[in-house]
Amino acid sequence: MKKILAALVLTTALTLPGVALARPVTLTTTLKSYGGDGAYLAIYVTDAKGAYAGTMWMAGGKAKYYEHLADWYRATGGNAAEINGITGASVGAGRTLEITLDLADALFDAGYTLHVDAAVEDMRDSPNDVSVPLTSVNAGQAVQGRRYVASLAYAM
Amino acid sequence: MKKTFAILVASTAVAIGAGIPAWSGMHRAEHASARTDDDGILKLASDDRLDRDHGRRARSDDDDHRYGDDGHDDDDDDDDGYGRRTSTNPAPAGTVAPPANGLFCSGAAPKVKLN
Repeated sequence: MKKILAALVLTTALTLPGVALARPVTLTTTLKSYGGDGAYLAIYVTDAKGAYAGTMWMAGGKAKYYEHLADWYRATGGNAAEINGITGASVGAGRTLEITLDLADALFDAGYTLHVDAAVEDMRDSPNDVSVPLTSVNAGQAVQGRRYVASLAYAM
Repeated sequence: MKKTFAILVASTAVAIGAGIPAWSGMHRAEHASARTDDDGILKLASDDRLDRDHGRRARSDDDDHRYGDDGHDDDDDDDDGYGRRTSTNPAPAGTVAPPANGLFCSGAAPKVKLN
């Protein structure tokens, strides 16, 4: 009986870390009422060294405008493969984009940073309009953007 | 003894079933970073870049040149400079699986709400 119990404890210990490697996270991005057309937004992550790690969402579906999301474009070359299946409509002034996704636990408290590049037609581009380190402490804290993003927050 | 062996086999199978996909996701994340490192570290711009001639070019052609997806058809083929490095438009959410970049553990597409 003791052997069975020990085996169960051991295998449970091995199993749990795998199960706990993802968590649902909601990203909320609210735009200012800047008085222009819908904004293109690239929401992506860099690692502790500042290297691009991946894109979470692209708001805006026309590839020809992506070069105006300068930091994201520099990192990806505008490669559509980076955003296939995670691309939606641009976001109008004053509106709020809410994205819920299962994120890897390893992204939190490990030096990763969430960034938003923004661009609006006939207005100045805003690379890295807002960024926030992905940490447990920052969860739920709204961070102000520089130009088009009024606030960015993530909840776990 | 047989029971112990059976339990060990079953629980190991469960551990492998749950552990391998999770490990695989982690591995992809690390791989993505490593691949990007080869291309160069992302230097985040601290200053704004003036949108050079952006407005002038946009105004010089017809009226269907819009960033916003609010009803304007901007699939134009004009030669206004925007499209010099045009690549294929990405697949919209829901039509294909998200990229295997290690960020999306479950492989499910993000749920999006626009208010």
